[in-house]
Amino acid sequence: MEALWDDFATAQNTCNGYLLATTISPEAPATDPARLYNFNRGTNAYSLQTDLRYKLQYNPSLHLEKKEAAAWHEVFTAFYAFTGKLLAAEEAQTASRPREADWSSVYDSWKEVLSAVYRGYSGNVFEAWTIPCLYVVGKYLRIFAIKADEQAAASQRDSGLAFGELQEEDAFGAASKNEKLEDAARQINRIFALCLGDRSPLEDSRKWALYYTANLLFKTYFRLNSIPLSKNILRSLRASASDTPELSAYPRAHQVTFKYYSGVIAFLEEDYASAEELLTFAYESCERRATRNLELVLMYLIPTKMLTAHRLPTRQLLQTSPTLDRLFSPLCTAIKRADLRAFNAALEAGEDEFVKRRIYLTLERGRDILLRNLFRKVFIAGEVEDAKVDGGGVGAVAKRTRIPVREIAAALRMAGATEIDDGEGGVDTDEVECLVANAIYKDSNLQKLTICCEQNHMKGYIARDRGIVVLSKTGAFPGTGV
Amino acid sequence: MQMSPSYTAVAARQTLHRPDAPPAPEPARTQKVSWTPGVRGYVQRAFDADSAMIGVDLAEMQQRLKANLIKTEREALALSNAQNAHIANLNASTSYLSSGAKIPERSIKRKNEDLETTDAEEDAITPPWKKHNTNKGSMEDRMTGKSKKQDKKQKKNDAFRANGLGTNAAVLEKRKQRFGYVSPEPSSHPSSRNDSPERTGPLVGTCQIVEKSYFRLTAPPAPDTVRPLPVLEKALNLIRNKWKNEHNYNYVCDQLKSMRQDLTVQHIQNELTVKVYESHARIALEMKDLGEYNQCQTQLRALYKMSIPGRSEEFTAYRILYTVYTCNRTDMNNLLADLTLGDKQKPAVQHALQVRSALASGNYHKFFRLYLDAPFMGAYLLDMVVERERIAAMASICKAYKPDVTLRFIAQELAFFGDVDAPEPDAGLPQCLEFLCQHGGEPFVERKEDGDIRFHTGKAIAVFEGQRAAAFRSVDIKGQI
Repeated sequence: MEALWDDFATAQNTCNGYLLATTISPEAPATDPARLYNFNRGTNAYSLQTDLRYKLQYNPSLHLEKKEAAAWHEVFTAFYAFTGKLLAAEEAQTASRPREADWSSVYDSWKEVLSAVYRGYSGNVFEAWTIPCLYVVGKYLRIFAIKADEQAAASQRDSGLAFGELQEEDAFGAASKNEKLEDAARQINRIFALCLGDRSPLEDSRKWALYYTANLLFKTYFRLNSIPLSKNILRSLRASASDTPELSAYPRAHQVTFKYYSGVIAFLEEDYASAEELLTFAYESCERRATRNLELVLMYLIPTKMLTAHRLPTRQLLQTSPTLDRLFSPLCTAIKRADLRAFNAALEAGEDEFVKRRIYLTLERGRDILLRNLFRKVFIAGEVEDAKVDGGGVGAVAKRTRIPVREIAAALRMAGATEIDDGEGGVDTDEVECLVANAIYKDSNLQKLTICCEQNHMKGYIARDRGIVVLSKTGAFPGTGV
Repeated sequence: MQMSPSYTAVAARQTLHRPDAPPAPEPARTQKVSWTPGVRGYVQRAFDADSAMIGVDLAEMQQRLKANLIKTEREALALSNAQNAHIANLNASTSYLSSGAKIPERSIKRKNEDLETTDAEEDAITPPWKKHNTNKGSMEDRMTGKSKKQDKKQKKNDAFRANGLGTNAAVLEKRKQRFGYVSPEPSSHPSSRNDSPERTGPLVGTCQIVEKSYFRLTAPPAPDTVRPLPVLEKALNLIRNKWKNEHNYNYVCDQLKSMRQDLTVQHIQNELTVKVYESHARIALEMKDLGEYNQCQTQLRALYKMSIPGRSEEFTAYRILYTVYTCNRTDMNNLLADLTLGDKQKPAVQHALQVRSALASGNYHKFFRLYLDAPFMGAYLLDMVVERERIAAMASICKAYKPDVTLRFIAQELAFFGDVDAPEPDAGLPQCLEFLCQHGGEPFVERKEDGDIRFHTGKAIAVFEGQRAAAFRSVDIKGQI
């Protein structure tokens, strides 16, 4: 118990916010692993008030103002109740009686801690240097909420089908299985508003907690599958941009996470240009040792680059992470080889996971690049035969620029394009032309791209009456060197 | 004494005592007590030399034992009394159940159960186990959260009984007669519950009129304005026929909305509910009333999730097509995530998925083939997409084909067939021409000497490119009329 108060006094006297936050953290520091236990057993419900008063108000090494001491008094009162619940839950967990661990009441008691801390700030009693306390209360509120919801879901499953059906009664009232987490989102949002609305000068402003809290909210909203709510956060950040410090002035951890989430949001909105910029920043500034974070960033950066720059990840990059390798390697190989059959198979095999990660609809467009590669192969294969046509400058390889549609059809069939069959063993040339037309026309869904250098995959035109595709003499396949 | 098997275990405990209590079934017994072997063993062990405790002499031990035995006996007696009463009650309640079980509605049954409970309470003794005699009964109580109150009261009764004031039924009975048959709860409890204005449970309607127009509720409805299940079934058939014969959407929509309301206030969620919502969704779709259509789809999704049978294949397909229309990628992703392997194998869902994938890759050729081949009422949804996709396809065609293409080719590619049921090669040409002219393509149409109509694609790029951007920008998400 003493170590806690020593830390508290040191933190208060040196204005060390992070140290201060450890005193109300549900995780005991490594130096003092039994801290919560000692705190909980060091006093009891009857002498708690006296003990706290003694520690906070009459402590000779502390010089807290009366209001401040009272606010901390509230915080530690709530914290005391919380430690009781947490220790009981953890004990049940370690004694392999996980069902008896009452995470829901752990959540509720931690929410009380959050409220006490919140009141400290809303009453302008706590100074801005203490904001790591806000990080701690927000962070663990989310964690306990998830645990409580998981437990509620598990106990519902245990209690059998009949009961589950009764629960479904509320399907109309949208009773959710994430009750606590939704509540947590509301609480964290309160903190966000608390920081956003601070009017003190920047040196002493809660605005420095803005991005951490925003990230926490993103995390929660993503888990709740209510991503559109994240846009509200972005909007309010943008609206108050003029009197908020630059993002670059924040700790790098806050920056990277924030860029990652806003990058993913842009990605989901099909704003691939911004997504590329934001995710690239996140990738480059991310701590190299944080392999999981890098993997998360790449999960969205790879499909983005595929669309914006038609660039596929290198083998080395994919091999840095088994997950990325498993997810993307088959697709990338198929695209490089222009193997439509393999591409479809890979897309189907990974569909569930791609959908879960929300990249399916983007990866699907890799097919356009694949077809471009296929047409390019047809073009290159034909170049020798037609060498005589070219008048030829020095070093210029003669290329046959007129390709019969039936040759392209044959190539498509070899690649495994089943959809071009007309159902009677022949080829539906109209469909082949349609695929070619799409390659010539810029990718129909890339209309939002602004920075994309080359929007069309192929230059040329279809002369339908003659049944040929006429390709541009120079740079028929932009960006591929042909 | 007839016992149901679930109580045999408890009955065994009755052998623990055949006490000296005066009004016991065999009143001839005097102070002579016949202890069971278990009890005898217990006493013997207590006096055994091995278990002798220091500081506890024989006299004290005797005293303690006596006290213990008397206490146990009392408790056992109280138990058995309550049990006898309970068994009597059980007979009553089972006879009720056999008559009440005919009514299939959960809510109706619940109501009857209420009435029954009050009867039992007038008999004064309602043991706490009563509620558990059938699974259904206890579940309903859990659902309404009502039994807590009763349980509490019963507990009070038990405590009262166990207090020793009336350790046996006969004494209680005497007391009761002295007071002129007063129930232990002197409050006007049954009536207060019936009259209670804030009843939270579902109500059961009594209205027998089949047609009823929709009125938005602002207060709990009176039962006589709500149609019960059988009447609603009749109503659905009536409305369906009226729709077939008269095709008056305002009337039908109004009627269906009132049916939906009646179902909601009575908490009816069964196949009829699904049918009502499905019918309304289809009719709304036909009339392009997307607001109602969406409301129905939301409910249907919840109902299918409760695995109430219905046409989930059809409506899943609609949902995909609708999301294609709104171009909402988040929704689409969620929708794909929700699809099960079984869903994906259903033909209509497959068709919808193919439509999605064709449009995602800009394959207009395939899309328009699928458009002509839509199962169920998918064509109504695709109608909303088709104009916009035609413009998009024109933009592609204009960019890719040079110098010109025949009008027939465009008509074919964009699925202008005149009459879909009897396709003729040139029947769609006027339609196609009209479409092109509407979108500013008129200057690029040329009739050749041989009668062939050609379209100068190369020159029309700019026109269709502009139209395309505009067409995709204006998607009204809510789709309200």
